[in-house]
Amino acid sequence: MSRVTKDYRLGETVVHALKGIGLEIGVGEFVAVWGPSGSGKTTLMNLIGVIDEPTTGVLLFNGKETSRLSDDEKSELRNESIGFIFQQFSLIPVLSALENVMLPLQIKGIPSAEVKRRSIQRLEQVGLTEFLKHRPDKLSGGQQQRVAIARALIPSPYLIIADEPTANLDSETATKIIDLMRSLNRKEGTTFIFSTHDERLLGNVDRRIHLRDGRILES
Amino acid sequence: MWTDAYTYEMDAFWRVEKTAMVTWFKIAFRNLIKNKRRSFVTALAISLGYAAVNLFGGFTTYIYNGNREASIYLAFRGHLNVFKKGFLKEGQLDPRSYLLSAADIEAVEDICREIPETLLVTPQLNISGLISNGKVSTIFIGQGIVPSSIDVFLNRTTLINLVDIGRNALVDDKDYGVAVAYDLAHMLNLGVGSYAVAMSTTVDGQMNALDMEVFQLFEANSKQLNDKFMRVPFSFAQKLYDTKSADRLVILLNKAERTEFVRAQLERAFAQKGLKLDVKTWIEQSEWYRRVKEMFDVIFLFLFTIVFVIVVMSIINTMSVAVLERTREIGTLRALGLKRRGIMLLFAIESSLLGFGGTLFGIFLSFLGWWWIDFFRPTWTPPGVVTRIPLKIEFVPEFFGISFLILMALCILTSMIPARGAAHKNVVDALGHV
Repeated sequence: MSRVTKDYRLGETVVHALKGIGLEIGVGEFVAVWGPSGSGKTTLMNLIGVIDEPTTGVLLFNGKETSRLSDDEKSELRNESIGFIFQQFSLIPVLSALENVMLPLQIKGIPSAEVKRRSIQRLEQVGLTEFLKHRPDKLSGGQQQRVAIARALIPSPYLIIADEPTANLDSETATKIIDLMRSLNRKEGTTFIFSTHDERLLGNVDRRIHLRDGRILES
Repeated sequence: MWTDAYTYEMDAFWRVEKTAMVTWFKIAFRNLIKNKRRSFVTALAISLGYAAVNLFGGFTTYIYNGNREASIYLAFRGHLNVFKKGFLKEGQLDPRSYLLSAADIEAVEDICREIPETLLVTPQLNISGLISNGKVSTIFIGQGIVPSSIDVFLNRTTLINLVDIGRNALVDDKDYGVAVAYDLAHMLNLGVGSYAVAMSTTVDGQMNALDMEVFQLFEANSKQLNDKFMRVPFSFAQKLYDTKSADRLVILLNKAERTEFVRAQLERAFAQKGLKLDVKTWIEQSEWYRRVKEMFDVIFLFLFTIVFVIVVMSIINTMSVAVLERTREIGTLRALGLKRRGIMLLFAIESSLLGFGGTLFGIFLSFLGWWWIDFFRPTWTPPGVVTRIPLKIEFVPEFFGISFLILMALCILTSMIPARGAAHKNVVDALGHV
């Protein structure tokens, strides 16, 4: 991304969330975006995840300028190339763990039998073999986040965006989740970008992007 | 080019959606179950509306069928009436010029023999005048009908099971024997076996009077006619008017649906043979039927509009709340790559499941109402009818089918209003929704 800015309008006030960000993230990197609350971490993650658009500047994903894509093309890009892990886990409450993981491939239109096989494999990978049929409300926070990780991994995306994935977890579970993400990054070469304000989770990353007041202090 | 691109895109959409459809149904169904009370209330509103439309539709069909049969069979007017051209406008002023001659009648009968739908062709002559018991006189109107044709009409209607019209007592070879409506008979203190005199002017304008014997008393089709109506043998009417003619030929068909077809055939044949005759259908002849149908059609439209509004409001309310509650879920699905159309499809499925459940329960309620009426057989007195008759609700599968399709379409289209808003919501805002 080059000279990216993002402004929000809150009533009469314009908030400059990002102020001329320039950043390049390579394939297979394990990147932490950190900084205090309000520093612009989530805004940056949303832009990289193509669920938001910059006010100015250029954002390229695999060489494609995202602002030139239609809404449907962005949806396809997210479905095929980007996995999301959210702070609130954001699982569909009426679906089981397995059904939640199956979603991205079903959206893509892949036949059910294959989707099921691959989803079970992913859930095994995150250690949830025994919880395939459990609904989210029957899982602990850590287990829900593992389901979310399996769901993010299922389409074998280039990039996984994790916005404060450990914010709602205790420190032991948070470390386990980061370790799991790291091992998947090493094993599969998937690029991970996660945001956090917890400096204790930064020890095991390839690269830190330190944000403050919408600007990168360290990259 | 644009069309090709659009078609390709839609094909791709449905290819993708087909594989995900089971999941969308699962999500929709489970969300409906999750919000049991809300779903039940909405489905109940749909089912009550659906049952109301079906039952009222069945009731109006019963009314229409009853009035149709009354017009065709109980009034002995058949499906088609043939008149001399101009009779309906000028016939009262100059009856001699506008009556059907024996040659006309024969020509029409010949034509009808070639039409397989024809069941009966019979001449009739309406008369009017004064009736007297020797002490008191009053006006009457009478239908001159061939007595032996009466049973042909009565044998083809089920209404005789509902209305006490009595058995036919007129006979062809006793042309002095007449049937008198109850109130008219009461006014003149006549009973079966009583004698009276009918007076009228002939077609030439001379006074004429005939003795008659009351063979039968009967309820006229309407209260207004009951104190002045008589049914007399056709030959009696001819004698009173001193004519060998008829004012109409009544044609009874084996199927009411063929009325317009036969009318067209007759008109073609009359034109070919140079006959100056008019053909009128039973609907054109029965103003009562047309008015009643128009009135019930308006009431039905009114009812359907109310149901329409209730269903639309219920669905919009339910789906709006669902969209509001699941905004974060919508954001998640969009982030996972579901397109806007997919979100709309998801809510359309949910709404159509509600509609389907509602109409399914509505079918049950309709049958319950239908069974109740069939079991308890309530009676009523329709406007213009003299006696109480059983109230019925016809079972009309077309009503069930058409109102089902309309309600389902309504549910899906209505859900599009909140669903469209949800689909176009900014993904980041949706994800951040609390």
